[in-house]
Amino acid sequence: MTMLLAQIDDILRCRQAVQSRRAGSALRWMVGCILAFGMVYGAVMGAFGGICGDRLWQAVYSAVKTPLLLLGTSLIAWPSFLVLNTLVGLRRDLARATTALMAAQAGLAIVLASLAPLTLVWYASSGDYGDALRFNGMMFAVACLAGQWLLRDHYRLLIERDARHRWMFWTWLAIYVFVAIQMSWVFRPFVGDPGAPVEFFRREKWGNAYLVVAQLIYEMVVH
Amino acid sequence: MKRWLNHLDRILRGEATRLGTLREDNLEIESGGLLLVILLLAMLYGVCMGFFAGFGEGGPFFMQWLAGIVKVPSLFLLTVAVTFPSLYVFNALVGSRLSFTAIFQLLVASLAVNVAVLASLGPIVAFFSVSTTSYPFILLLNVLAFVVSGVLGFAFMLQTLYRLDAAQRRRLSALPETDGERGERSAETLESRQDRKQSPPPIVAQSVEETGALWGARGLRLDRRVKTVFVSWMIVFGLVCAQMAWVLRPFLGKPNEPFQWFCPRESNFLQAFWDTLRALLS
Repeated sequence: MTMLLAQIDDILRCRQAVQSRRAGSALRWMVGCILAFGMVYGAVMGAFGGICGDRLWQAVYSAVKTPLLLLGTSLIAWPSFLVLNTLVGLRRDLARATTALMAAQAGLAIVLASLAPLTLVWYASSGDYGDALRFNGMMFAVACLAGQWLLRDHYRLLIERDARHRWMFWTWLAIYVFVAIQMSWVFRPFVGDPGAPVEFFRREKWGNAYLVVAQLIYEMVVH
Repeated sequence: MKRWLNHLDRILRGEATRLGTLREDNLEIESGGLLLVILLLAMLYGVCMGFFAGFGEGGPFFMQWLAGIVKVPSLFLLTVAVTFPSLYVFNALVGSRLSFTAIFQLLVASLAVNVAVLASLGPIVAFFSVSTTSYPFILLLNVLAFVVSGVLGFAFMLQTLYRLDAAQRRRLSALPETDGERGERSAETLESRQDRKQSPPPIVAQSVEETGALWGARGLRLDRRVKTVFVSWMIVFGLVCAQMAWVLRPFLGKPNEPFQWFCPRESNFLQAFWDTLRALLS
């Protein structure tokens, strides 16, 4: 337990210990953090409709989907990050860069988990599904900002070594956000409408997040 | 196979194109093996692209998937076959010192970079192909992936061209001058001689860790005419590739339409791109 807390502390304070540890060992810890803390927030997020009967499954599904969202997005975006880093001559720092990315992901999951009690209080205070969606959106936005902040801090050392890391930092963010938005759209429902049946995916309504947003903007402008 | 993948890795890292390596007139790469790797990577992207046909509405359409796997490498190889002769001829016409082999190797290496980037974007394309039913969106996403990888491939080509030229000038300046070269030198224009007097080519040994494959040409010179030929060729390559893609279509296959290897001849790529963009926004 003490070791886990020390690990979390290192990630959140951007201690050099994270970067100086062997990449394999550091990555294992971070993936563990993403799984554990992502599941905590996911379970809380999916508990909007309660945890009795079928509704328990919604909490379980959300607990599985939240770390999947974080890890899946990284996994899909990483191959292009690898090739681009190699092309710009930063391959020697790839292990450190990957550690920084995963540390930011782990940090994001930890921040999310720390916000879980607030979400529970919100659920206890309001039964409106739309409000719950917006509140969770806000929690994710806060966690993403914290994650981005952590990534910048973990990347600072790399940028000091070579300014080209700044380009890769922004490139990663662009690719990651592009994939993450669609990934979260695919994985919905996370909160789960109490009036709708419990389901893992809305397979028949996967669609495309960007097209939905574009149509909403278009309708707002035209009408 | 592992050796050829290592070749690709050396190219991506910039090891195969650093000045220290470019002692001769070429890139010291095995073009044959690299072409095989290019073929496989392009097929890999074809697999990712085919997810739209494999998991799309009314699917899976295995023939369309197979067609994509075959057509992506064909697109690149046919475009190279169409544009390479003109590149060599115009390059020779403007008096570049690059030999046929050097140009071919440069082209193969650039194509390898292009296809490696494309294949690395494959997982993103595959993910969107599985989760999206919008044909115009996937079409434009694929076009974007091709454009990004193409731009990086061209950047690599231009960068390597600078280095090749610098390596050759360094080699020539190290050799004792023959009668023929003396005559050739006297035929050079006054402008280029003055240029050389004012700024001797700053050829410095580069560390690959410092440069990479897309960096480090700053300070190196390249004959303006050679650069013009290559830049013009890149534009032509892009246009031919786009039109070739149009000729080889369909790559994705429209949902709910019967499979066909080729569409009838009509319109052109730019017109279709514009129509797709309008369809997406309407």
